[in-house]
Amino acid sequence: MNVALMKTKAEQALTEAFEASAAKLPGSAAVKARRAEAIGAFGSLGLPHRRIEEWKYTDLRGALKEALPPAVQDETALTIAELIVALGPLAHVDAHRIAFVNGRHRSELDDLSDASGFDIATLGKTLASAPTNVADALTKSDANGAIAALNAAFMTDGAIVRVADKAVLTKPLLIVFVRAGSARHAVTVRNFVSIGAGATATIIEAHVVLPGSTPDAQSNALTEVSVGKAATLHHAKVAVDDGKCVHLADWDVVLQADATYRGFQFSSGLGLARNETNVRYAGEGGKLDLSGAYMARAHEHIDTTLVVDHAVPGCESRELFKGVLDGHGRGVFQGKIIVQPNAQKTDGKQMSQALMLSADAEFDSKPELEIFADDVVCGHGTTSAELDPDLLFYCRSRGIPESQARALMIESFIGEAIDKIENPELHTALMAYAINWLAHTARG
Amino acid sequence: MLEIKNLHVKLEDEDRVILKGLSLTVPKGEVHAIMGPNGSGKSTLAYVLAGRAGYEVTDGDILWNGESILEMAPDERAAKGVFLAFQYPMEIPGVAGLTFLRTAMNAVRKKRGEPELTTPAFMKIAKEKGEKLNIDINMLKRPVNVGFSGGEKKRSEILQMALLEPTLCVLDETDSGLDIDALRIVAEGVNALRDKDRAFLVITHYQRLLNYIVPDKVHVLADGRIQKTGGKELALELEKSGYADFTGKAA
Repeated sequence: MNVALMKTKAEQALTEAFEASAAKLPGSAAVKARRAEAIGAFGSLGLPHRRIEEWKYTDLRGALKEALPPAVQDETALTIAELIVALGPLAHVDAHRIAFVNGRHRSELDDLSDASGFDIATLGKTLASAPTNVADALTKSDANGAIAALNAAFMTDGAIVRVADKAVLTKPLLIVFVRAGSARHAVTVRNFVSIGAGATATIIEAHVVLPGSTPDAQSNALTEVSVGKAATLHHAKVAVDDGKCVHLADWDVVLQADATYRGFQFSSGLGLARNETNVRYAGEGGKLDLSGAYMARAHEHIDTTLVVDHAVPGCESRELFKGVLDGHGRGVFQGKIIVQPNAQKTDGKQMSQALMLSADAEFDSKPELEIFADDVVCGHGTTSAELDPDLLFYCRSRGIPESQARALMIESFIGEAIDKIENPELHTALMAYAINWLAHTARG
Repeated sequence: MLEIKNLHVKLEDEDRVILKGLSLTVPKGEVHAIMGPNGSGKSTLAYVLAGRAGYEVTDGDILWNGESILEMAPDERAAKGVFLAFQYPMEIPGVAGLTFLRTAMNAVRKKRGEPELTTPAFMKIAKEKGEKLNIDINMLKRPVNVGFSGGEKKRSEILQMALLEPTLCVLDETDSGLDIDALRIVAEGVNALRDKDRAFLVITHYQRLLNYIVPDKVHVLADGRIQKTGGKELALELEKSGYADFTGKAA
């Protein structure tokens, strides 16, 4: 029996939506040809489902009942004040900024006044004039599969950032994607980040919502990252929405020799999220820290799937993911570390932990180590636990009421992951998001 | 005044009776020591006083200043002035010591009807009282008790006690795991808190601690009951003769 034979309503709608909007999607003739190929590839792949090993715990085909119409040439404009409201705690992070609303660049919301050491372009404009070789580069990605194909077919805009060799960016760059308005739609964006040799930068990718907008939304965000020789990139993605948004995100990262990449993913208020990350070491001496914090309540579902490919010797990888699950919230963690036969002296450590606040919460964790070299240090661990009653008693014996003690302990649990963030303002902002979330969760 | 009357306690999940009619009175301003062999019910008594879950009081009562505290939640007891210094202080990764202390102090002050402390006022008090216990402010910026040595953890307990200003201080095996220098610092911290309005219940297995914290009375707890009460010299007798006389009765 061929299970992919019958197209679901959502799959059908995606193909039809492409036909209806193809003419309006930005792109030269070469780009349009690549988009058509991509939707063709999607047509034969269909939405990923639970019989595909990598999607075993996140049955997107079953969950996605409806494909929302793509946001194309969206006209929604925001004021700076509205942008600040949408940014919430992130508004306090002193950063250069490029802003997109419903998948379209809004230069009036940018703040790139004193930018130096990097170039920035928008994907929309670049696509419009892309010759064949550029079209190829912009549409293909390391990630293949249905979600990347949909991204190539529908992407409207995004940031193309190039940090110059040896440049040291003192302020982070905030790439913010706001969704706003009452129209229910799907937003598809793609970013390219390239850090020159010896450079240092912090890039924050934010996916936020203007309060009062429809809660129904879908987003597909792909970011390609290349960290040059001996360069350092701090890269954070903050996705915070209203509880229903379907957020499909993909990071594809390549590290050159002696490069350092510190990636962090913060997710809350997402109906269904898939945060997929692929990291490949292209040179020796690469250092990776990939961590994250997520929170799910009601029937929210957060999937973290990562593949770290130690293709060369002498690289280090660290992962720490922490999730807080309440109600029927579900966390999924799949962490695959591959150590290729020649990748001696690999040092890899992975930890994934979930805090279960409810008997109905669910955590599925699948660490995978595929080690083909013999001189390596690799370890992984995973835990799921309730709040420690002894610790709760300790706090209460010091006079802290139960609801406050619970909040303090949840904060401490998630804080350990957020501590990976080195930028103090971003650290404060993420703790604020976590505390806001807790304020709606902690019971007395 | 602390009055423990005919206290019977069993474990909630097991048919094991731990305290079998314990009676004890500690007036304000006095320090009473409870000594006893392992398994006599010393830690159970400490936990029941502080209100830890998992114990069932089947008979008797605990009155603090004339009011029964048995139905009170641990945080309510803390607000009423009850403080337990833990034998094994807990580590709270991710919560800075200062945050924890300020949260606890303000929670207690709020319940006692006192104004909450501003950050500068709190910092001043924490710094002052910390210095007396050899606790540097930088130590308090670290997560609560994480990576602390045994001695540091116990000093941190005494600092919490000094800041929360309880009126009933219960010290559960505060001497365990301490070298002689740490023991002296901890004891000095405790002695500094001795006050006519404050009652102390010092639980210990060994007499050593009582050289530094000199008690007004010593009670011997064995088999879930107070078997003997005497002055501070009783501790010295016990050090020589051991608990054999009392555990014998347990059969």
